Amino acid sequence: MSAPIASVTGDDFSATATHDGAAITAVMKGNADYAALDGVEKVLTRTHVEAKRLGVSEVIVDMRELEFMNSSCFKCFVSWITDIHELAEPTQYKVRFLSNPQLHWQKRSLHSLRCFAVELITITEA
Amino acid sequence: MQHNPYVELNFRPNVQLVSVVRRFVSEFYQRTLSDPDGTSRVALATHELLENAVKYSKDGETTIRIEVKADASPRTVSIMLRNRAEEQHIAAIREIVDGLGACRDAFTFYQDLLVSKARNKEGSGLGLARICAEGEMRVTFDVIDADLVVLEATTQIGGAA
Repeated sequence: MSAPIASVTGDDFSATATHDGAAITAVMKGNADYAALDGVEKVLTRTHVEAKRLGVSEVIVDMRELEFMNSSCFKCFVSWITDIHELAEPTQYKVRFLSNPQLHWQKRSLHSLRCFAVELITITEA
Repeated sequence: MQHNPYVELNFRPNVQLVSVVRRFVSEFYQRTLSDPDGTSRVALATHELLENAVKYSKDGETTIRIEVKADASPRTVSIMLRNRAEEQHIAAIREIVDGLGACRDAFTFYQDLLVSKARNKEGSGLGLARICAEGEMRVTFDVIDADLVVLEATTQIGGAA
């Protein structure tokens, strides 16, 4: 059974993070524009705190229903990946993005993010 | 004579309306460009440029014109924004555009920017570089009468004319 970590619901954006076994899964849906910024930041911050506390090996970020992400929300991911990178190596966890090939921006933005931290990030088109 | 199809909006947007415009642009060009990736790049650039303009406009007024130059080969799309901005915002745009011009490629510049902005609390500072690196666009910038910013992002697109 999965345990809730964080949840935000807005008019046009929602995100939840849950823990199940060795992984945390964060699911983001809708439109991550200026109005979603606090929500994205909150979910990623909570996810990082819990990932460290629980010692998970992987965080899965499911973006398959994420229509768009602006650069401010994207920067939250950059900051989060930087946080992981700054952990001592044995405590670092991996991040796997589930992307939607129909949403073309995801391919480009996730490629940028992966180049930023190639050893931490994998991308699965699903 | 073939006319280049364009959309021009002259309005006083608020930040809530930026996504509305992006969705309109996305739907409009899905039907006219026959290039889903190109449409996605145009929509991303439209969103980033408009969000910046809305945040930093002096008087709230912004004009955006998106034009498909169908007579060029390959076709090109131009997104032009005009708005009045404060001096510090103009300087921030100039710094990014000059940085992009001085770097050997936009993607390298963008990757360096991700590192330098990762801990930045004030805004993302990534929008223009993202347009160039992820959107594969070329950005030019001009200032008229001291505060009228004219930003143009252009890119080539595929698909049938």
